[in-house]
Amino acid sequence: MLRYILNRLVGLVVVMFIVATIVFVILRITPGDPAAVMLGPQATQQDIAALRTQLGLDQSILTQYVTWLGHLARGDLGQSIFLNKPVLTVLADRAEPTFWLTLMSLAIATAIALPVGILSAVKRGTALDQSVQGFSMFTSSVPSFWLGLLLMEFFSVKLGWLPVAGYGGPGASIGERLSHLILPAVVLGLVNSALITRFIRASMLDVLRDDYVRTARAKGLTETRVILRHGVRNALIPILTVLGLTAALLVSGAVVTETVFGLPGVGSLVVSAVLRRDYPVIQGALLVIAAIYVLINLVIDLLYLLVDPRVRY
Amino acid sequence: MNFSMTRRRSLIAMAMGGTLGAVGLPATVFGATPVKGGIISVATIGEPPTLDPMMSTADLVGILTQHIFETLYTFDAKWNVTPLLAESLPKLSADGKTCDIALRKGVTFHDGSAMSSADVVASLKRWTGVASRGKQAADVIADIEATGADGIRITLKQPYAPLTALLAMNNSAAVIMPAKKLAATLTEFIGTGPYQLKARVPDQYIQLVRFSGYKSRAGEPDGYGGARKQYLDEIRFVPMTNANTRLESAIAGQFDYVDSLAVESLSKLKGSKSEAVILKPFGWPRLVLNTKKGLMADQKVRQAAQLALNEEDMLYAAFGDKNFYAVDADLYPKGFPWATDLGGAVYDKGDAAGAKKLLDAANPKDRTIRLLTSQQYEFHYKMALVANEYFKAAGFKVDMQVVDWATLVQRRANPDLWDIFITHSPFLPEPALIDFPSKNSPGWWDTPRRDKALDAFNQARTQDERLKLWAEVQKAVFDEVPFIKVGDFNALSARSPKLQGFTPAPWPYFWNTWKA
Repeated sequence: MLRYILNRLVGLVVVMFIVATIVFVILRITPGDPAAVMLGPQATQQDIAALRTQLGLDQSILTQYVTWLGHLARGDLGQSIFLNKPVLTVLADRAEPTFWLTLMSLAIATAIALPVGILSAVKRGTALDQSVQGFSMFTSSVPSFWLGLLLMEFFSVKLGWLPVAGYGGPGASIGERLSHLILPAVVLGLVNSALITRFIRASMLDVLRDDYVRTARAKGLTETRVILRHGVRNALIPILTVLGLTAALLVSGAVVTETVFGLPGVGSLVVSAVLRRDYPVIQGALLVIAAIYVLINLVIDLLYLLVDPRVRY
Repeated sequence: MNFSMTRRRSLIAMAMGGTLGAVGLPATVFGATPVKGGIISVATIGEPPTLDPMMSTADLVGILTQHIFETLYTFDAKWNVTPLLAESLPKLSADGKTCDIALRKGVTFHDGSAMSSADVVASLKRWTGVASRGKQAADVIADIEATGADGIRITLKQPYAPLTALLAMNNSAAVIMPAKKLAATLTEFIGTGPYQLKARVPDQYIQLVRFSGYKSRAGEPDGYGGARKQYLDEIRFVPMTNANTRLESAIAGQFDYVDSLAVESLSKLKGSKSEAVILKPFGWPRLVLNTKKGLMADQKVRQAAQLALNEEDMLYAAFGDKNFYAVDADLYPKGFPWATDLGGAVYDKGDAAGAKKLLDAANPKDRTIRLLTSQQYEFHYKMALVANEYFKAAGFKVDMQVVDWATLVQRRANPDLWDIFITHSPFLPEPALIDFPSKNSPGWWDTPRRDKALDAFNQARTQDERLKLWAEVQKAVFDEVPFIKVGDFNALSARSPKLQGFTPAPWPYFWNTWKA
């Protein structure tokens, strides 16, 4: 198994190198200039050119690429042009809200999807099943920004129960910070629950047709026991897969929700970095996201070992 | 330009006799008793690109850093230059080339050190080296030197009337910092302002706290000038990039002040927990024409483009309600010292036949206008759509290139890539602060008539003389068409009824305010 893990880690390096190269090239051929954004609307071309020189942006793309790779090899993701901080520090600062948001969204999505998906499979073809499928279709089709604004309007503006946006001021307690995460977590949880529900339903339908389920029923086990002990456990592998993919997507893909709710997480950092062309931050963030993506998948693969003793690496 | 349509502030404050209106209560509640203490939160349109006010001309940078840093001069409520860190207005020599500035005594920086003439000289030298406005002044500055512990002298190569206005502006600003803290990239943000930086968590908040060692000017507040009262304990600027979120947070009353709301959201603010503040007039959109290369390099073609447009239709498409725009050709509206009544004989004509005649006379090989615009500012895009139709009616072809703002800023620097781009600007206190007179600004207006009009304007010695010469500059603009002003537009923001003592301004400031 150690060999398997090592192989996967080598694969991670290869993936990151490819991502790094693609991101670097795309960013450099995309129009837009961080120096112009930084200096503001009335800066002269001479000022912009001078700042470009100061930032090393006047060098050839190849020179910039080689320099950047050199730093990368030493674990240095570079310095944010706008925040004047190491990219790793900037990312670490943003990790907290994204981490909690991912965790809460995943918890909400799972709490909805698991019982609903199982129930839908068990009650296949009934009105309940149809309703679940309709609801899943609806939540997966709703744009997250629209749902976010809708919930914001109702719970924050009309009822005043929750803050509209932000992540609390200086010295905000954990409770206050978490209160800022409830609405975005519900939005992401609802949207993502649709896919997980459908996966669980499909996986359970497959399992419930298997012989060992029929045998369990024939042994006289209660239906609840059959479903939970024999059905769910055997359906866990695809469920774990989709949960892992969802977690990875949440780390990287909460861009819109974080922006709508003004959360200072990794997603909103990427958006603002793109708008101001903060190349080192975009490059660093995407690299870290790619690494997290690969690592989450690795962890999921390893979890298969726990869930299913038949799996061997 | 990296500010949104609603982000700038009108230059007309109530005290100026302008038409700024607050829906609900007046913006300043006269007679209310100030209360010391309290914290306010201000929702801004985003994270500032830097906290170094010399480095950037962005409004957001000016709005935030004006609480931390101060300049030698600033603007009073009537947009006259007034002293801030300087003791008084500068003493000019008879030939207009020597400018002596006495400094206020007893001013200290946030690090506790006393401000000296050495700090001022070092700061101004940095300003002339790194700031866009400083470099503009550097062209005419021969020397900056200390004349004693409390005075400095700026020696000019030629008389230069805009100097004090450049020294007074709050973006690309000639702020005074301790000489020992000056660096190419600032790592410490130490000023003399009424509030000092306590913490900056990017994209989360910028926390300013009252500076206990602040020495205010005597007297009463007067625009950005006069006394600066420190009623509040803390000011927190919270970036809120999404416009809808800013609106919802204003309705819910989450912030004490919410900057930059879309004008169409005015009705939603009625009956909410915040009061709407309409800033009227706020700024002016314009079409900049490439006078250097391509189709618009021909003055006749530029005149044809000018004649073709119906600016009122463009404004209506962009803002949808006459409460939020004014059809006005003059570069400054009423209420400003620089307001004129030239009327613009070629403004708002929509004369397709006349324009076609001019275009036929110019007979360019290719009549395609490469019109560069951005949907990041929706009103730019809407104006472009209307302009497109009027241009086509006049016999032009239009290649409309819709890009994001960062791309537009980059492309406009290359004269080979565009013929017209759309931008906007607030009404700046002094014409020399506007970018169009610069030959280096995209558009590259550079003609003998421009030189003559602007040189005379910049070297005039009296304000009356400058006002007359400003009219000449505008006539040159109307005739040579380096750009086309579309009109005046207004902006909307919101404030909590608890925020008292607030005077709307183009770059809102929160000294002199208190929380009821």
